[in-house]
Amino acid sequence: MLREFGSNEIWFLVMAARWTILLSLLAFVFGGLAGLVLAIARIAPWKPVRFVVSLWIQVIQATPMLMLLLLLYFGVNMLGVRIDAWTAAVLSFTIGTSAYLAEIWRGCIQAVPKGQWEAAKALALDFKRTLALIVIPQAVRMALPPTVGYMVQVVKGTSLAALIGFTELAKAGAQMNTVTFQPVAVFGTVSIIYFAICFPLSMLARHLEKKLQVGTLRVQAL
Amino acid sequence: MSYTFQFGQILGYWPQFLQGALLTIKLSALAMVFGLTIGVVCALARSYGARPVAWVAAAYVEFIRNTPFLIQLYFVFFALPNIGVRLDPNTAALLAMSINLGAYSTEIVRAGLESVPVGQIEAGRALGLRRLQIIRFIVLLPAIRAVYPALCSQFVLTLLGSSIVSAIAAEELTAFANSLNMQTFRSFEIYLVVTAIYIVMAFGFRGIFAGFHRLVFANRG
Amino acid sequence: MRFSFRRLALALLPAIGLAAGAVSAAKAQTPDEIIKRGKVVIAVDTTVPPYGSLDSSNQPSGIDIDVANAIGKQLKVPVEFVTVNSPGRIPALLSNRVDMVIAIFSITPERALQVSFSIPYAGQSAVLIAPKSVNIKGPDDLKNMKVGVTRGALEDGALTALNIPGIQILRFDDGPSTVQAMLSGQIDAMGGGDYGEIYLRKGAKGEEYEQKFPLRAAHFGIGIRRGNPELLQWLNTFVYSIKNSGELDAISRKHRGGAPMIPLPVF
Repeated sequence: MLREFGSNEIWFLVMAARWTILLSLLAFVFGGLAGLVLAIARIAPWKPVRFVVSLWIQVIQATPMLMLLLLLYFGVNMLGVRIDAWTAAVLSFTIGTSAYLAEIWRGCIQAVPKGQWEAAKALALDFKRTLALIVIPQAVRMALPPTVGYMVQVVKGTSLAALIGFTELAKAGAQMNTVTFQPVAVFGTVSIIYFAICFPLSMLARHLEKKLQVGTLRVQAL
Repeated sequence: MSYTFQFGQILGYWPQFLQGALLTIKLSALAMVFGLTIGVVCALARSYGARPVAWVAAAYVEFIRNTPFLIQLYFVFFALPNIGVRLDPNTAALLAMSINLGAYSTEIVRAGLESVPVGQIEAGRALGLRRLQIIRFIVLLPAIRAVYPALCSQFVLTLLGSSIVSAIAAEELTAFANSLNMQTFRSFEIYLVVTAIYIVMAFGFRGIFAGFHRLVFANRG
Repeated sequence: MRFSFRRLALALLPAIGLAAGAVSAAKAQTPDEIIKRGKVVIAVDTTVPPYGSLDSSNQPSGIDIDVANAIGKQLKVPVEFVTVNSPGRIPALLSNRVDMVIAIFSITPERALQVSFSIPYAGQSAVLIAPKSVNIKGPDDLKNMKVGVTRGALEDGALTALNIPGIQILRFDDGPSTVQAMLSGQIDAMGGGDYGEIYLRKGAKGEEYEQKFPLRAAHFGIGIRRGNPELLQWLNTFVYSIKNSGELDAISRKHRGGAPMIPLPVF
C-alpha cells in the first residue's frame, strides 16, 4: 500500500496540473469578460450604475475567495440549487477574478488623458464609440503587464479548489502524500510545478512592463 | 426551492464566531507587523545589499510569489518537523502568513525605494546626515508613504487569505464555520454570516489604515 | 472592430449558460434509468486506505472501489468514478454530480436528513491511535495532550463529548491531513478509523503506531439522493446478496490483510 515517491508519482502530479491550467484558463476568460463589463460600468456616465458596481467590487474584494467557494458549493447546494464542484470553482473564481481585473482595467482606462475624451466629444462621438475607438486601444497597452501579472494570482488561487475536494494539482499532492508520506518530496514537487507555470508569467509581465514602458501599476496577491 | 432559513440557530453561536474572528484579527495584525518588517529588510537588501544578499532576497521573493499560499502552509506545518521545527497550528499559520506577506511587501517597498529621487539622497549627504539617518528619513519614510495604498491592499489580502489556515487546524473564523457546518448542515446561513464578518473586518482594517495615514503621513506634506 | 454592448453580452452568454447548466449529467434516478444511460457515476474518496486509495498505476483501489465495481458488474454498466473528500460527499449527491456515494460514509441520523443510506456494507470503529512509546490506556491519559481528528467525523464527536480536561483537539479538514500531522509529530495521538492503523504502522519511519482504545463504532452505507425508493431497495438487495455470496468477505480479505468483514447489522 505504501510506496516510494518516484517518476511514476511525479508524472501523476504533472498530469494533475492540466486541471489547474484548465481551471485557470476558464477563470481567466470568464473573469476577464465579466471584468470588462464591470470596468466599463465603473466609468459609465450613469451615476447609479457606477455606485452599484463600485459597491459590488468593494464587497467582493473584501470577501475571501475561500468563502465564495464554500458559499457556492456547500451553501447553494443546501439551498436546493444544484452546483457541482467544477461549476462552483469556475463560478467563484470568475466572480473574484472579474472584480480584481475590473479595478486594474478601470485604472488603465482612466489613465488615458482626459483630453482624449474631450477631443472625442468635440468630434461628436458618443460614449460607446469614444470608449471603443479611442480609449480602450490606448488602455490595452497599459493594461497588458498587470493583466498578465494577475494571471499568476489566478493560477495560484485555483489551489483553493482542493479544499472542496476538486482534484487539481494541490489536491493531487495531498492524495500522493497519503500513499507515500513524503511531504517534503511531494509538496516540493507540487511547488516546483506551480513555479514552472507561474514564474514565466511573472517574467512576461515584467518584460511587458519594461517594453511598453508603462508605470508601476502593481498587481496584488489573492 | 423548499429551504427554510434558520439564521436564528446560527446566530446563537455568536460567542464562538467572535472568538474565531478575534483570532483571525490577531493572526492578521501580527502577520502585517512581521511581514512589513521582512519586507523592509529584504527590500533594503535587494536595493542596497551586497550581491549575494540581494540575490537571496530576490530568490525568496520570486519563489513565494509564484507558489500558492496553501502549499506554503502545508510545508511549514507538515514538512518543517522533518528538520526538527515543530510549531503549533496558530504559530505555523502566523509564520506562513508572515513569510508570504513578507515577499509581497518586499516588492512593494522596493518600488517605493526606487521612486525616491537620487538627488534627495545626495542632498541628505550634503547635510551631513549619517547613513542610517538617510535610510530612515530620506529613503524609507517617503518610500513607504509612496506605496502606502498598495501596502494596505496587500494587508487586506493577508486578512482574507488567513481563511485558508483552517487547513492545518488553526482555530480561526473559517475553521469554526467548517466545524459548525459539519454539525448543523446549515451551510448557506453559516458561510453567509462568516462572509459578512470578513467583509466587516476588511472594511474595518481599511478604515484603520486610512486613519493611520492621516495621523502619520498627512501633516508631513 | 466596432464595439457593441450587444456583442459583449453575447460573448458573456457561455458564462451564464455555465451557471444555469449547473444541473449536470448524473440525473438518473432509478436503476432502470442508470442502465438506460449506460454508466453509473459513483463518488469515492481516494485518500482513505484501505477503503479507497490510488494503486501503483494511480487508479482507484480499495474496499469502496471494489463494492462500486460490483454494482457496475450487477447493473452491467461501466462505473465512472468521481473523487470527493469527506465534506464534499453530501454536496456531490445533492448537486446531481453522482448517482451514489461509496466513501466511508458513516450512517448518522443528521446525514439521513439530507441523503438516504443503504444498509451497511462495511463497518469499523473510530479508535484512538498513538505511538507505541506513548502510554495511553484510556481517555484519562489524554489529559493535556494534543489529539488530531477529522473535523465532524465520528472521532471528533466522541472525543469532544468525553470532555477531557486540558485536551487540545486539533481539527483537520480531511483524514490525510490528520495522519500527516500524526506522522510529523504535530500531535500526540489521533482519532481515526481502525483502518488507519494498517497504513500508519507501515507508514511511520521510526515510530511504531498502535490502536489504544475504541472511541465509537460506525457502519458505512451507500448514500443516494432522497426520494428514490427503487434505487434504495435495489442497493439493499445488492448489499444483502454480496454479503450472502461471500463476495464482500473476499473484498475485505483482499484489502484488510486477510481479515473477513465484521458482522453487519441491517435496518
